[in-house]
Amino acid sequence: MTDILYYLLAAPALTAIAAGLTKSQRFQEMANLVGASVTLVLGAIVTYAVVTTGPQSAAGSFLYADALSALLILVVSLIGFACAMYSIGYMRHEVHEDHFPAARLRLYYVLFHAFVFTMLLVAVSNNLGIMWISIEGTTLASAFLVGFYRQETSLEAAWKYLIIGSVGITLALFGTILVYFSAVHVLGPASGALEWTTLIQIAGQLDPLVLKIAFVFVLIGYGTKAGLAPMHTWLPDAHSQAPTPVSAMLSAVLLNCALYGILRFHAIVSPTLGSFSNTLLILFGLVSLGIAVPFVLIAKDYKRLLAYSSVEHVGIIALAIGIGTPLALFGGLLHIFNHAIAKSLMFFVAGNLNAKYGTRRIDAIRGALLALPATGIILLAGFLAITGSPPFSVFVSEFTILNAGFASGHYVAVTLYLLFLLLIFAGFLMSMSRMAFGKPPEGMPRREVSPWNTAAMVFLLAFVVVMGVYLPAFFVDLLHQAGAVIAVVK
Amino acid sequence: MTTPLQTDILTGLTALVLIMTFIMVSHKSLTPTIRTYAYQSILLSILAFLVGLFTGEHQIWIIAVVTLVLKGFAIPKLLNYIIDRLKIRRERESPLGIPTSLLACGLLVLLAYAATSRLPQAETSLGRASLGVSLSVVLIGVFIMATRRKAVTQTIGLLVMENGMFLAALSLTYGMPLIVELGVAFDVLVAAIVLGILLFNINQTFDTIDTRQMERLAE
Repeated sequence: MTDILYYLLAAPALTAIAAGLTKSQRFQEMANLVGASVTLVLGAIVTYAVVTTGPQSAAGSFLYADALSALLILVVSLIGFACAMYSIGYMRHEVHEDHFPAARLRLYYVLFHAFVFTMLLVAVSNNLGIMWISIEGTTLASAFLVGFYRQETSLEAAWKYLIIGSVGITLALFGTILVYFSAVHVLGPASGALEWTTLIQIAGQLDPLVLKIAFVFVLIGYGTKAGLAPMHTWLPDAHSQAPTPVSAMLSAVLLNCALYGILRFHAIVSPTLGSFSNTLLILFGLVSLGIAVPFVLIAKDYKRLLAYSSVEHVGIIALAIGIGTPLALFGGLLHIFNHAIAKSLMFFVAGNLNAKYGTRRIDAIRGALLALPATGIILLAGFLAITGSPPFSVFVSEFTILNAGFASGHYVAVTLYLLFLLLIFAGFLMSMSRMAFGKPPEGMPRREVSPWNTAAMVFLLAFVVVMGVYLPAFFVDLLHQAGAVIAVVK
Repeated sequence: MTTPLQTDILTGLTALVLIMTFIMVSHKSLTPTIRTYAYQSILLSILAFLVGLFTGEHQIWIIAVVTLVLKGFAIPKLLNYIIDRLKIRRERESPLGIPTSLLACGLLVLLAYAATSRLPQAETSLGRASLGVSLSVVLIGVFIMATRRKAVTQTIGLLVMENGMFLAALSLTYGMPLIVELGVAFDVLVAAIVLGILLFNINQTFDTIDTRQMERLAE
């Protein structure tokens, strides 16, 4: 079992190489699907190993996976698999419609799996410096995916994404250097001074003032990449301009990678700073929720609507982590998973609408239920899910966070949270019902875009539905252990 | 650790790094800005070399060489190649004039010193003064990115930020662990290449690299 982390990293790396070696589109698609499946299986095995036998490490102390890493690995590999499946149908359609030449598909599959590789590396890096490098790597791997269509709008989005993301990440590096500095103070220039496993043990002895400044830099820095308001300005552009499967990866997974970075630092500074980082997280969480509201209410483009909804959900997760009781942590971590599933499902729906109607304008779409029978139904289910309506999975985590907030006396925060959620529900209701009901345009055939797309959506829908009523004991264990990682010594 | 003379040499070089950043802000055209960036990187490399020499931490020399090759030569060459191919020479439009920009950067330096003055003294020979300088360089990098409109200049702003970061790591702890420093250097190189390719794509599509043209994505 000791080599499992190597295999986990090797799977997407080899897939990217395999897809790059051939010009045959069929082979690229096959490599993509097989590679993503293998990555998913390995991700599941790592998660299982962590939950049953404790943290895994490899290469000395270079690679390390505890329950918090395992949660991220699970999300990356699961959503990665669904997006890989969806990519086949969607990208074929885009080539067919002449949105880009078929020869560029190879680049797509190479970058897609390189992107997955960098995100998995974020999850298994023990060294916070290597984690920083991997997070920067995710930006570099995905920048071309955002600008993939090479139109004015997509290149603009890619440029903004790269520049704003890089500025953010550089600030996070400053925070990382400061933490290293404070650790060297305690340990001397030992090699382990930047490693999570070392840092968390000496967390209580670090200099409080240095840690305060460090956490602010890390929160602003990684927060930019996580889409926390007010540093989220690049996000709606990038997430709406990328090809749809990439949008899903960005919204559902990449944001969590950056959040993961914040969580690690949160755990390191908490023993010395008490609730300093909690307060900041609650504040940024509420601002993100609040900023999303007006944009959701007036949205004209459904992919931008979903992108703003990601800002909202990142805010919810930050709020939950900020509240910080075991119940809130459980809810927040569960929300990471639930949001990832529901959001990629909604992006898949959006991709099908875009492929069918050829527009991203909400007011130009009518009668999705009739024109796209399966997508239309999933559109309604997904809308209810993403806005946190029972009986779907997101409701469970949002309700848990609500309970935890009330139980711990954060009345103002929780009241605002509830208010924002209601407003966002109203915004979604207006847009989604307009698109789902009514009559489709004359002469539009009643047909799904591609069986690959439908399969990917049904796969995710199963999670949304089942996890609304039932959480496997294994998964509950995973979340409790991951919560314990964040709340180490308090 | 180091003798007072050695410390003075290091502090003097650190001050030069800051002065170079100001020179970059004062340039209007791109070629001298890129040249100054190259000089600043070479200076950082010398600084790293001296720190290694004075303290006996010889692993810093590897970083010094990588910095010299990558940031002193390779990246400036890449940037020059880009502006040659895209035929951009001058950066005319800065919403603030040069004097105002310099004044603003002076204020940023004060801010940086205020923010770092209360931190505990580092045990390294570069010490606290250079931490103030490095944060200043980072902030001025952000300033360049925010006020200049040409995509190439924004790239330079990013690279200046990264140089400030390098100085911060050097002055606080004699640099981060070797593997991390190498990884960061690699990321900087890849970022410069990615930005370069993106610039070519943008140039082909927009016929300009003025980022003010990029305002289609408004709500």
